[in-house]
Order: sequence, then C-alpha cells, then structure tokens
Amino acid sequence: MKNFMSTGIVKGILYQIVGSFIGAGLLGGIRALMGLSWKTEPAIVLGGLVGAIAFMVGVGAFKDWWKMAVGDDVTEASEVAGEQGFRRYFGFSLDHKVIGIQYGILSMVLLVLGGSLALIFRVELAQSGLQLLNFVQFNTLVGLHGMVLIASILMGIAAMSNYVVPLLIGAEDMAFPRLNAFSFWIAVPASIILMSSLFFGGFETGWTAYPPLSVRGPMGIQMFFLGVFFVGWSSILGALNLIVTILTMRTKGMGLFKMPIFAWSVLATSIISLTATQLIGLSFQLVMFERLLEMSFFTPSGGGNPILFQHLFWFYSHPAVYIFVLPGLGIISELLPVFVRKPLFGYKWVAMSSMGIALTGFLVWGHHMFTAGIEEYLRVPFMYSTLLVAVPTGVKFFSWVATIWQGKARFPVPMLFVLGGIIVFLLGGLTGPPGGTVSTDLHLHDTYYIVGHFHNTMFGGFIFPIFAAIYYWYPKITGRRMSETLGKVHFYLMTPSFFLMTFGQMRIGLLGMRRRIADYDPAMGFDFTQLLITIGGYLIAISILVFFYNLIVSAKKGEPATGNVWNSRSPEWDILPSPAPAHNYAGIHFNVVGEPYDYGLKGSKYVELAQNVGQRKENDE
Amino acid sequence: MSSINNTIESYQQKLAISRLGLWLFFASDAFMFGGLLVTRFYLLGNKNLNLDQTLGLLVTSILLISSFFMNRAEVMVSEGNHKGFITSLVITILLGISFLVGVVGLEWGSAHFGPGDGAEGAVFYMMTGMHAFHVLTGIIFLSLVLRNGLNKKYTPEKHYAVEASANYWHFVDVVWIIYYPVLYLMGTI
Amino acid sequence: MKHFSIVSILVILLTVIVYVFLQAVGLLPTQASSQAVIIDQLFDIHIGIISFLFSLIVVFIGYSFIVFRRNKLLPDEEGQHITGSSKLEIVWTLVPLAVVIFISYLGAISLAETRKIDPQALEVKVTGGQWFWSFDYPDYGITSDVLNLPVDRQVKLSLTSVDVIHSFWVPEFRVKQDVLPGENLVKELRFTPIETGDFMVLCAELCGGAHAYMNSPVKVVTEGEFQDWVDEELGNFPQDPESLGERLAKNNGCFGCHSLDGKDGVGPTWRGLYGSEKTLVSGEKIMVDDEYLYEAIVNPNSQIVLGFPANVMAQNYGDLFTDEEIKNMIAFIKSLD
Repeated sequence: MKNFMSTGIVKGILYQIVGSFIGAGLLGGIRALMGLSWKTEPAIVLGGLVGAIAFMVGVGAFKDWWKMAVGDDVTEASEVAGEQGFRRYFGFSLDHKVIGIQYGILSMVLLVLGGSLALIFRVELAQSGLQLLNFVQFNTLVGLHGMVLIASILMGIAAMSNYVVPLLIGAEDMAFPRLNAFSFWIAVPASIILMSSLFFGGFETGWTAYPPLSVRGPMGIQMFFLGVFFVGWSSILGALNLIVTILTMRTKGMGLFKMPIFAWSVLATSIISLTATQLIGLSFQLVMFERLLEMSFFTPSGGGNPILFQHLFWFYSHPAVYIFVLPGLGIISELLPVFVRKPLFGYKWVAMSSMGIALTGFLVWGHHMFTAGIEEYLRVPFMYSTLLVAVPTGVKFFSWVATIWQGKARFPVPMLFVLGGIIVFLLGGLTGPPGGTVSTDLHLHDTYYIVGHFHNTMFGGFIFPIFAAIYYWYPKITGRRMSETLGKVHFYLMTPSFFLMTFGQMRIGLLGMRRRIADYDPAMGFDFTQLLITIGGYLIAISILVFFYNLIVSAKKGEPATGNVWNSRSPEWDILPSPAPAHNYAGIHFNVVGEPYDYGLKGSKYVELAQNVGQRKENDE
Repeated sequence: MSSINNTIESYQQKLAISRLGLWLFFASDAFMFGGLLVTRFYLLGNKNLNLDQTLGLLVTSILLISSFFMNRAEVMVSEGNHKGFITSLVITILLGISFLVGVVGLEWGSAHFGPGDGAEGAVFYMMTGMHAFHVLTGIIFLSLVLRNGLNKKYTPEKHYAVEASANYWHFVDVVWIIYYPVLYLMGTI
Repeated sequence: MKHFSIVSILVILLTVIVYVFLQAVGLLPTQASSQAVIIDQLFDIHIGIISFLFSLIVVFIGYSFIVFRRNKLLPDEEGQHITGSSKLEIVWTLVPLAVVIFISYLGAISLAETRKIDPQALEVKVTGGQWFWSFDYPDYGITSDVLNLPVDRQVKLSLTSVDVIHSFWVPEFRVKQDVLPGENLVKELRFTPIETGDFMVLCAELCGGAHAYMNSPVKVVTEGEFQDWVDEELGNFPQDPESLGERLAKNNGCFGCHSLDGKDGVGPTWRGLYGSEKTLVSGEKIMVDDEYLYEAIVNPNSQIVLGFPANVMAQNYGDLFTDEEIKNMIAFIKSLD
C-alpha cells in the first residue's frame, strides 16, 4: 500500500485534489475578507490552476529544477538509474523511452475516453428525435469528444516522437530530459481538468468555443479552457525539446539529409507546435478573462469583436491539423520503403514537402471563416493559399506511389495500416478542395461533409499511422511481437467500418445535415444513414478493443523477437537489441556510412558499428 | 573516466543546446505577445488610449536602464568582478521592481478605465498585465541568481544561469519597446 | 512503357466509373437559387478532379502490388534501387501548382458570380436569436417568422443577431452566412430563388441549447402570390390586444421555447399558465398573474420556475418592447386556457 501511495501518478493526483481545494478556498477566503460573497467560477479556475501546479510538485517535476535554481548540483540525467519494471511507467522518469510509453498510455486512455463520448452521442443520433440526452449533455459530449481526441492525438504524436526520434538519430536521450518529463506530466493534470468540465455544468460551444456563446454558457467551459491551456504547454515544451534534439544531437556523420525521414516530419511539426500553439492559448485565455473580469474582447456591445477570436483560434487550429498529420505521414514515409524493399522515392523532396506543408499551413487559417463574415478582401487570397497546400501534399502522395511502383511488397500488419493510412488520407485530401474554394464552401461549411472530411484526415494522418507505428515498434519496446492474426482482424474490421462511417457522414452533409445538432428533421430522410454511421462507429470501437487485447496479451505471450524483425536499415533495428537498452547507444559507437533507404542496393549499409565497439563514445558523455 | 578536456567540451555542447532551447522559447513566447498586438490593432486600430505620458516615459526609461545594468552584470561576471556583478544585479532588480510599481501600482490605479470598461480597458490591462507577469518572473529569476551569486556559485567560465536570466530580461525589455509606443504613443500625432 | 499504357487506360476507365457513379447518386439537394446553379458547376469540376486523382493513385498502387508482386520462390527479393528523379518531382510539383492556381481562379470567378448585385433586390432584415429567426420587410413594414420570397427576384438579406453567433443556411440555395451580434457587424447575403416551394432556413452555427431546432420555413412563391401575402399582412390584421400580443410573440420567436399545446419546452408552456400556481427555484410558491408575467418578461432570471434553466431567456425584452406591447403579450397569454 505504501508502495502504491508513493507512485508518482498517485501522489500527483492526491496533491492535485488537495491543491484544487486550497486554490478554490484561497479565492473564497480572499473574497470573504474583502466582504464579497462566494463565487464558484473564479474559485474553480484558481482551484484548477493551483491543482495542476500541485500535481507537478507531487509527481516530483520541480525537485531537480529547484536544486538547480538554488545552485545545488543535480545528477546528470544520463546517470539517473531510474526505477525498473512496470512501475517506472507511473512515476517521474527521465528516460525518453519511458516517457514515450507514458505518452502512449495517456494517448490511448484519452482515445478510449474521447471515443466513448462519441459512442454515447452516436446513439442519440442513430434516429431522429431526442431519446437519450438533453441539449447541454449533447453539446458537452460533442465538444469534449473533439478536444479529448485532439489531446489524445497530441499525446500520440509526442509518444511516437519521444520514443523513436532519439533512437533514429543515434542520441542517448532528448536534449532536455527534465523538460521532457515535465511536458508529459503537465498533460496528466491537464487531461483531468479537461474531463472535469463535465462536472461543472459542461459547456455548449463545441471544441471551437466561439464567443459570445462561450462567454455566456455554463462554467464547465472554464475547465475546458484551463485543460487545453496546459495541454498546449505540454505541446510547446515538447516541440522545443524535439527541435533542439534533432538539430544538435544527431550522431556523427548524420547530416540533416541523412536523417530517417520521420525526424524531418517531427521537425516540421514541432516548428508549428512551438509557435502557433501560443495563439490558441491566448485566445482561450482572453475568453477566460472576459468571463472572469468582464473584459470585453469579443462581445460587440462592449466594443469587442467575435471575429477576432476566430482569427486567433484558427491561426493555431488550422496548422494544428498539420501538427496532427505530419508525424503520421512521416511514419508512412518511414515504413513504406521497409515493406516494399525499395528506396524512398525523392527523399529530399519528401523531407521538404513536410516543411512546405508546415509553412503554407500558417497562411491558410481563414478558410475556416469563409462564411464567418470576415473582411471581403480576405476570402480569395485565403482560397489561393489553401489550395496551395495541395502541392506539397501531392509531392508526398506521388513519391509514395513511386516508392511502391515495382516494389516487392510484403504485407505484415504494420504495412496494412500504412496502406490504410495512404488511402484514407487520400480521401481526406481529395475531399478538402471543395471546402477550400469559397463558393462551394458556402454550402459545405458546418455540415457533416466537413465532419466526414476531417475524420478522414485524422484517421489517415494519425489513427492508421499510429497503429502502424505501434505494431512496427512493439518488438523494440517489449522484445515480443504482437499477434499478426489479431492485428489483421483489427485492420479488416476497422477499415470498412470507417468507410461506412465517413461516407455516411459526407453523404448526409452534402444533402443538408448540419454539424453539432442533437436532433434532425425526419423529413430529411437521414435516419437510415445516421443509423449506419452509428453502426460504423461501434464497429470501429470493437476493432480497437481487439487491438487493446492484442497489445496487452502480447506483452507477456507474444512471439519473442529480439533481432531485426522487419529487416530494416535504420539504426534502432540494425544495431540495438530488443527491447532497446537504457541510454540507447551509450557504449555503442556507430558511423553513418550510407543513405537511410538504399533498399535493393547490394552490400550497402546505412549505419555501421565502429571498430572500437564497447568503448564509450566520448563526445556523448 | 573522462579527461578535463572532455568535461569542458561537454559543457560547451550543453551550453549550445541550452542556448538554442532558450531562443526557441523566446520565439514561442513572441507569438503570444504578437497575438496581443494583433488584438490591440484589430479592436482599436490606431486609437489613442489617453494614458499618463509622463508615467509611460518614466517606466520605459526605467526598464531600458535596467537592461543596461543587466548587461553590465553579465559582463562583470564573465570578467570575474564579483562585487561589480552583485551591485549591477541588485540595481537591475530594484529597477525591475520600480517598473512593476510604476505600471501595476500607479498606472493601473490612475488609468481612467478599469478592465471591464470596453475594449480599451480589456486590451490595456491584458497587454500590461501579461508583460508585468513576465517582468515579475524575470525578477524571480534574477533574485535566485543574486542568491547564488552571493554564495559565489558563478565563475567567469560557468555562469549560464546569469546569461539565461539576462537574455530573458532583455527579451522582456524588447517586448516593452514594442508595447510602449503601441500603448502610449499611437494616435497622439 | 507497356505498364504505363495499361495503367493509363485503367486510370481513365476508373475515373469515368467513379465520376459517373458520383453524379448518379445525387450528391446535392435541388438547385433552388441561381447561385446554386453556379456553385454546382464548381462542384462538378471538383468531382471530376476527385475522380481522376483517386483513380490515379489507387490504380498505380493496386497495379504495382498485383503485377510486380514478390516471386514466391524468392522470399527475400528486393525492389529495384531507384532513389528518385528530380525531373519527375519537378513535374509533379509544377503541374499541380498550375492546376491549383487555375482552380483558385475558377473559384474566384464562381464567387464573384454568386455575388452579383441586382439594384432591384428585395430587402429583408433577418434577426437571429436563441432560438428563433425573425424577418423584417422594411419596404412593406411587415415582420414575420416565415421568410416569404417572390421567385426570380434577387433578395438582399441584412443579417444580425441579438445574442450569439448564428448562421443563415438554406441547403437548396447553397449559400450560408454567419449572423453576428453587434450593430457594426451586420452582414449581407444575396441570392435569387428560382424555384417555388417550401424550404427551411437552418441555423448552421452551434448556438447552444436548442440549436438543432432553430429552423424557420422559407416559402418561395410567385410574384402575384407574394403581393397577396403582403396585402393580407398589411390589411386584415386585427387590432385587439390578444392578437397584437400573439403577433409580437410569434415574430420574436417566443414559441421556440414556450409552446401553446400545454407541453413544457425549454421554458414553461403558455397554455393554462395564467392563474396557475408555480413553485420557483427559491422554493417560493406564486400565483401567475399580470404582475408576475410582467416581471418574468422584463427580468426573467428573477423568478425562474423550478425545473427550468436560468440564463436561457434574453434579458433585454424590457428595452425591446414598449409597456403597451408587454401588456398585449400578457393579454394573449391570459387568453390561453
């Protein structure tokens, strides 16, 4: 029991609960001293804030930093022994692989939570009329479904980047191991705060939280804002760490254009997360203050402007789409050559296309506001910039096709998910341009067509690739393979169910089904399609249960796999044993002697062990 | 196991990594301050806020001078001048506190609007408030540096904490150099 | 080269099949405005491009997997060592770039077409609120909760909201415009109905609570029928307090929350309300009389009936209505027993 109570996460949550009460009580106390009455909203905001900080204290995130701040010596991150066994995943660890897994667990927990929220409101939507939920419940579920899954995606890409990037570039760990742990752990209280919005009256605004609606409704919105705010910091600091890691910690001889391609996509993603995330934080912060202190940023009667919020919000939230999909597309580019046994076609172009998508991504936010009443002269320029994104995305697709062309493909489970990702993302990409040209978007905006479109991009750009990544790197993590049979069941159940869901969504959207409505007119004839969408959603959920079963059971019972399972050229498979040892390549000196993807070139190697094996690499100390 | 040379080299590498990290943080934070600037221009255009010009000029001068002393402190610690380092640092901190008193204490008290009074109030309090929050954190960092400085923890070779806090201080100063004309001067001519 | 010829033929075939299929399923609702016709032409181009690009990628990948599959006897067979081709990359950067610019150009033309201004347009002021639509015809001095429009005449809507953001959308007209609060944010939307019939204006921007039910009928009628409707609205229109009150309630969307059939909605039903006894949130029991109703209209949050949410009803009816109007409204509620 004592053991359990000293686990990082348990301690953190206890501290958070106590901290929240202290924070809320503090504000109540101050107000009482000033002779003011109790007000719940500011109290819960301060409670949430103090609670999150208390969590970080409880988990031990500030211990070393405090020592550093007062000038005491701290143990080098590379010399911290850390806990062993399963327990280490639930406490404060500095090992990037442990943190990667922690991110992964949080991502999957949020995936289940967010998905379950959708399963609830899908039942409501399966037929017209209101059966299960009232308006506030429905709106809260829709909004939380969106934001919880966004958090899940951010955690998921952080999981992949954290675990894989240092291994791919031959680094011992991330550049700032403590900051890395901090970035992960701040996301835990953030998720708790985000979910707690359910218990403070929910919120009615959807994940976009447009004012003036968000200025009026129930106060659950404050918890939503606060949770997102902390998730944002997790994302910003994680991105900072990854950029520094990729730029400064590559092994000797690995130039930027000799990195495995996934590192490029993480670099591009991180540039967006580092900068743009500030703007969603700011926009949410302004609404929080508008609610707390009546500062009228967005209410026209007080001189504010609701369009301003949309500009600030979408300046992040559109590039955010590229944050979500670029790592996934990087996974596709990374895994495809391994399974078709051919070099990645046009490596530099693929690398640059990630950068191109990231940079054009900054210029297109206005296409979410074509009908919002933005300045007339902005709509056409935003249409041009929006469609421009198709060019670098096209380069990616054509390069993948050229990579596949005449390749000798194998189809183990990771490859199936890579292919699923390509096709689903293709549909996501192709359904985009009608929403990108202004006049057609006048019809499509805020309909289920858009819902279908972005579920395609999210599944193709994230869900399929992350499953591919998990099946692919699982042996590296555990030393065992996941079951191929169950993996195939997962794939062949999820893919058609997803098509059923998304085609249904786009179909009724084109015909006039609006987003975020709890009920629809039976006269529109959507009942049957809505039922199919619900069935599709539940089948996806079942397939993901199969995946979880596979994930958990294989850790103990999977077929042992210690060598180069996929016959890959990249260093983590070629050089390291599975599971990957602590501190990665410490004590192993390898040189980059070739190109990363020269499959089919006889006798070529990407990395090679140096002569002085076993001698500690001096520079990496 | 490792020679002294290696330790120095590894310290240099760590320094390079830390510097890059710090500058990336500034880049990120700059987007937040930029967002507030956008808010100001979007809601108010180039409308003048009718603030106390004398006070504005005074606090701006104080912050600029504090940056000068911050720079002195950094130079002196790298030259091994312990006493000069401590003196300059103390002056920087005092000037920083005076800036806070000027903005939060005097300006907020005397402004002709409160945070709830229309877009002007909202923008003014949010911009000065966010900036003051950064100044406050800067003062906290500098106080920690001062404490460690008094305990002689910094050498001419190893004083990254001083450098980092100094850069942070300059960054916050630069932000104010942009905010000052936008808040006080715009629309007066 | 042989492979490329076969693939090209397959791509063309699949493109045609996909395109014909997508056209045949009827993707869009009827075209009931001249803007819909223009917009659907752009949709057609999009569908063509989608069909082609989908076929291009899928056929290449599928063909490669089937034709170049691994020889069963050589399980370790690797692909050819082809690392890339700058020429190809440049082609598939520049060609899409040109296409994209061309589509954007078409998009701009299409947008301009939909926004053509007719000075003879019928002017309608549209007000959205939680959760109602109200339509004002300044030329005739009519206010209605049904959008009546003459066919083949452009209508110019000036849209504004009394509370949060709403969005005006009639799927058959294809056009959509968000409706913002604030006097300086009145937005304009123009379209020309070309088909008579009954449609629905739907609120397309999440506006809380009963967003799903924020719909109002749109009636597109012939010019003559429209004139009849105008005459009827202006002429035979009883002036007794009950009827005036009913009109006022109807035009301000009160029935969105307060039903007349005795079933409680977002707010209490008005049928049988007058003279009934209600328990307030405070626990106090009150009798619904003139005084209570007046207070409940002007200052709704002060006396919320148990079981109903506060902060739903707008707080500004006291400023919006004259005392006379509120009295008429109460008279109307009184008449519902």
